[in-house]
Amino acid sequence: MQDGKVLLATAVPTAAPPAPRRNPWSMLGVLALLALAILPLTVGKDFTLHLAIQICINVVLVSGLSLLARAGQVSLCHGAFAGIGAYVSVLVVMGLGQPFLLGVIAAMLAAGVFAFLLGTVMLRLTGVYFVLLTFAFGEFVRLVLLEGDSVTGGANGITGVPPAALLGHVLDYKTGFYLLALACAAGVIWLLHTLYRSPAGQAIDAVGENAQLAEATGISVRGTQRYAFTLGSALAGLGGALTAHYLRYVSPESFSMHLSLALIIMMVVGGRRYLFGPVIGALIMTPLPELFRGAVETQNIFYGAALILMLRFLPQGLASLFRSRRAQKVIQGDKA
Amino acid sequence: MTTSTLLAQALVNGLIIGLLYLLMAVGFTLVFGVMRIVNFAHGEFYMLGAFAAYILVSQYELPFIAAVALAFLFAVAVGWVVEEVVLKPFRHDELNGMIATIGLAMILQAGALILYGPDSQFMPAVADGAITLGAVVLPMSRLYVVGFSLAVLLALYVFLGHTRTGRALRAVVQDTEIAAAQGIRTRIMYPLGFGIGVGLAAVAGALMAPLFSVSPFVGATPLLKAFVVVILGGLGSIPGAALASILLGLAESVTSTFMSNSIAEILIFVLVMAMLIVRPTGLFGRSEA
Repeated sequence: MQDGKVLLATAVPTAAPPAPRRNPWSMLGVLALLALAILPLTVGKDFTLHLAIQICINVVLVSGLSLLARAGQVSLCHGAFAGIGAYVSVLVVMGLGQPFLLGVIAAMLAAGVFAFLLGTVMLRLTGVYFVLLTFAFGEFVRLVLLEGDSVTGGANGITGVPPAALLGHVLDYKTGFYLLALACAAGVIWLLHTLYRSPAGQAIDAVGENAQLAEATGISVRGTQRYAFTLGSALAGLGGALTAHYLRYVSPESFSMHLSLALIIMMVVGGRRYLFGPVIGALIMTPLPELFRGAVETQNIFYGAALILMLRFLPQGLASLFRSRRAQKVIQGDKA
Repeated sequence: MTTSTLLAQALVNGLIIGLLYLLMAVGFTLVFGVMRIVNFAHGEFYMLGAFAAYILVSQYELPFIAAVALAFLFAVAVGWVVEEVVLKPFRHDELNGMIATIGLAMILQAGALILYGPDSQFMPAVADGAITLGAVVLPMSRLYVVGFSLAVLLALYVFLGHTRTGRALRAVVQDTEIAAAQGIRTRIMYPLGFGIGVGLAAVAGALMAPLFSVSPFVGATPLLKAFVVVILGGLGSIPGAALASILLGLAESVTSTFMSNSIAEILIFVLVMAMLIVRPTGLFGRSEA
C-alpha cells in the first residue's frame, strides 16, 4: 500500500494536463482564439460565417470525443450519438411543438442516457474490443434510423426543421446562429477546463494514463470511463442538435461512420489529451474541404496522409507543440 | 415453391455466401493475430483485388484464373510495402495502428477514385448455365467461385499447417516473443502476415468481381461482414472465423428469405453486440493475457 501511495505521488504530475498558468503560449493562444472568434463577424460574409459555425459545432463534438479519449477509450459511434441528439431535438421541436431550448436539452439527455446505459455494459471491454463494439452500435443506430421511417423519415430524413430560437428571438440568420454556436463551443471548453482541474478530471486523466494503477489507488476505472462516456456523448447530442437546427435537415447519412471518422481525425490531428486539441483540430480540418473543393479524392488522400503522419511523428497532436517547457521536460523525462 | 425447397435453396445460397465471407474474414483475422491491428483497410484491398481482376481480364484478356493469381500477388506486394512503410511503427499498438489503417483506407479508396472514377464497371461472367439438384438451382458462375474459394482455403490450410514459413507465422500469432526466442525472424513475419492477409482479401475481391460490379466503393460491405464474422468467431481465431462465416451466411440467407433484409441486418448487429458483451473473445478467441 505504501508503494502505491508513492507511485501515485509521482504519477500525478505527469498525468495532469500541462499547467496552463505557466504556459507562455496560453495568453497568446487565448488572444489568437478571441481574434479568430471575432473575425467572422467583422468579415460578415455568409460563407465565412458558415465555416465558423461548422467549426464551432465540430469543437463541441470533438471535445466530447476527446473527453472519452482522455479516459483511455476510443469511440467509433460518436457520430451516432450526434445523430441521436439531432433526431431527438427535431422530434421534440417538430413533433411535440416544444421550444428549441427544450429540444436541445432533450437531445443531450437522450444521448447521455443512451451512453450511460451502454457504458454500463460496454465499458467492461477495453481497447479494440470496445472500438469494435462502438462500431457495431454506430451501424445499428444508422440502420434503425433508416428503418424507422414512420418516425425518422427513413433514408429521406426530415426536412423543414425549424430554425433555432432563443427567448422569442429566431436565429434564422447566420450571424445569430454563429453567436449561439460560439457560445456553445466556449461553454463546452469552459466546462471541460473546470472539469479537468477538478478531482473528477484528475481521475479521468489517471485512468487514461494507467488504468491498473488508477484502479489500485482506489479510482473506479469503469465508473470514471462511464462518466466520461456519458458526458462526452451528451456533448455529441448537443452538437447534433445544433447541426440539425442549423442545416434545418436531418438524415441518417449525416451521422454515419463518416462523421465518426472525421471527428476522430480532428481529435488526433488536434491532440487528444489537451483541452485545446479539439479546437485546433476543428480549426484546421473543418475548412480543408473548401481548399479541395470539387476534388473530394485529393481531400481524402490528404486526410489519410495527415492522419498517418500525425500518428507517426506527433501522436499527441498539434496541441503538443504548444505545451509549456515544464510539461515538455516531464514528458521527455517519461520517455527516457 | 414449397417452404422446404425455399429453405433448401436459402441454405445452399447461405453456404455459398458464407464461404465468400470466410475468404474475406480469414485474412482479416490473420492480420489481427499477427499484428494485433484491426485492419480498417481490409475492404480496400478487396477493392484492389476486384479492380486488378477486372483490368487483367477485360483489358489484357488474361484467363480468369491467372488474373486471380496475379491479383493475389499484387496485393501481397502492396501489403508488404504498406506494412514496412506505414504500419511498422504501430505493431502491437492496437489503437493507433487501427486509426492508421483508417487513414490508409481513405488513401487507397481515393486513389482508386482518381484512377477509375466513381462509376461501376461490369465484368463478363466466368461461366454460364446452372445445375439443378432436385428443386435447388445452383448457378455455374457461383459454383465456379465456390470452387476457387475452397481451393484457396485449402492452400492456406496447407501453408499454415504444413510448411515451415506457415508454421513460423502461426507461432508468431500465438506468442511473438517465444517465437522470436525460437529463432523465427519476426521481422519478416510481420510484412508477410499482413501481405498474405490482405492478399486473401484481394482474392475474395477478384472472385466476386464477375458476380457483382466493380467500383472504388465495393470494399465497404465485405469489410463490415469481415468485422461481424471476426467478432463472432473471435479476433485472431481462424477456426472461429470459419464457423462464424458459415453461420452468418446461413443466417443472412434464411432470414432474408423469410423476413425483410434490413430487419435481418439489424438483428445481426444486435447479435454482434450481445456476443461482444457476453463473450468478447468470440466463439474461439483467446482471452488476452
